[in-house]
Amino acid sequence: MVSSTSSIDFAVIGHQDNWEGIERFVNGLRTPEQGKLSVEKIKSIFPFIPPRVLFNVQVKSITGSQINGIYIDTFFDPDKLDIQYSKANSSKVIQAASCAEKEGARITTLGGFTSIVLEGNFNYFARKATKFTTGNTLTAAYIVKGVETAAGQSHINLANSKLLIVGATGDIGMACVTYFKNKVKQLLLCARSLNRLENLAKFLLEENVNIKFSVSVDELLQDADVIICVASTTGLNFRDCKKDALICDAGYPKNLDKRIHDNPEVQLFHGGMGQVSMGFCFNPDYSNSIYCYPVPGIAHGCILEAMVLAFENKIESYSTGRGNITTDKIEEIYACGLKHGITLAPFHNAYGLWPD
Amino acid sequence: MNATTNQSITVEEFNVISDVFSQAITGELIGMSNFASLTDTIDDPYEKMEAVEHANSERMHAEGFAAYAKKQKLNVKINLNGEYWGNVRKQFLSYAQQKDFIACLIIQEVMLESFAISMYTDVGNALGGEASELFLSIADEEKEHLEHSTDILRKELQKDPVAFIKKFEEIHFNCMTILAQFSATTDLRGHCGVCNGDCMKGSLHHIALDIVTMRGNAMALYADALDNIGIPGEKSTVWLAQLPA
Repeated sequence: MVSSTSSIDFAVIGHQDNWEGIERFVNGLRTPEQGKLSVEKIKSIFPFIPPRVLFNVQVKSITGSQINGIYIDTFFDPDKLDIQYSKANSSKVIQAASCAEKEGARITTLGGFTSIVLEGNFNYFARKATKFTTGNTLTAAYIVKGVETAAGQSHINLANSKLLIVGATGDIGMACVTYFKNKVKQLLLCARSLNRLENLAKFLLEENVNIKFSVSVDELLQDADVIICVASTTGLNFRDCKKDALICDAGYPKNLDKRIHDNPEVQLFHGGMGQVSMGFCFNPDYSNSIYCYPVPGIAHGCILEAMVLAFENKIESYSTGRGNITTDKIEEIYACGLKHGITLAPFHNAYGLWPD
Repeated sequence: MNATTNQSITVEEFNVISDVFSQAITGELIGMSNFASLTDTIDDPYEKMEAVEHANSERMHAEGFAAYAKKQKLNVKINLNGEYWGNVRKQFLSYAQQKDFIACLIIQEVMLESFAISMYTDVGNALGGEASELFLSIADEEKEHLEHSTDILRKELQKDPVAFIKKFEEIHFNCMTILAQFSATTDLRGHCGVCNGDCMKGSLHHIALDIVTMRGNAMALYADALDNIGIPGEKSTVWLAQLPA
């Protein structure tokens, strides 16, 4: 495998998920003479900025090769990530995709909410010179490997555990279902759409998988030993969780940390995250204001998927559509990452490394 | 909103529409003056003739707005020496005096035209009838000025990217700072000297507009223009974030 060093090997299309980070970012760009802007003023500027390259990224592999990439921000309004804003957000993703193509990126990943566009508009992206991937396969890999590792560390036997998956009918949720369906005592499935849940349940019951499902997380929560939240949720009441439940917050944005105080004995970590052991360099370096993590080199699996594919010179739309992620593909992309020192991130949550 | 006849509009709508036309006419006259000054900076006879043509085009836009305002008996005030328009003009003249054609092009055809196209489009979409058609058709014509300059500036960038970006950055902060102050939620340098009473920005809701969206759209179009010229996004993001708000 040979990686190029002069062209743009990969692009990451992403967005910010909270105003605190955006405030740090914008005010970090301003000089003392220009003064800081209030969040309210920033809110009147930031979401109007068209998608553009924010910084260049250099990534090193443990094999010694190096790849060059760009990070393109869509400048989504973090208060407008819901489905009702999908038309405006889709338009920004398409602009960002054109930007990646114009920059000559060989492969581009759609991070966070931007991947929703690729899940539903694959034909549009298939015509592009740049290959696009949602990055969902590596995200799913880091979720399932993270859950297995964290369970092992916490002396939880998954084979005797009931696993709740919130967001079970989404692309990553279904990947988790497929991976764990024969590895746990019972799958507890929750999603917003009853119709989709019933279809998934029917398929699993035909395979004699032990499942229980509901659109209401309350009906499943008390039974769960391990919980994977793939969808960002506000309905998860930690007081109703088992006292030593293991929770993988794999939603976007990750919003479960504040509820730890309701049940301090639960063990919560941010799932779907990986780490580049050789680190990466940003130019300009905004790592103090956006994408801040407790240790260097951490990134979302969806972002890292583009890097892994670029290192492997595997220029293809690896993750597309919904429900196409197989366990074999999870194992393949995870193994490809390991070859280059791209591994499961150390367990952490908003309060730092886990367990501290 | 139908601003075709003043019989169907409220006092508040009449006042804000008057101020919108005052700003549009003043802006067009500034553009006309800038293009006229630009002719002195150009050696190429064909480009010189084109600059005169552009000046005439801005004159016709001003006349079009003025004719409509007269017909509707709007309370129009024209002031080329107000705090913001006057200072934009001074910036332009400082480069024109140095015969800096590229700098003049950047100010008039990128910065001012981006704001004009975007704000005329927003106003045109908000107002109904003849006023809407007038704003939207003039916005379309202004787009040609922006496209004309983009081709020239792209070539200029390719000649010496480092020097060009440095020059553009200087002009951005000299001129866009004034436009950013002008279009902030509140006038950051005081009254513009064009609006009849208080700043019209607080009254735009009477014609289904708001300054945050109008300013945001204008900055977005300016950012797109920078992209089309070839200014790297890493640079333009910083430039935009450093403007007053």
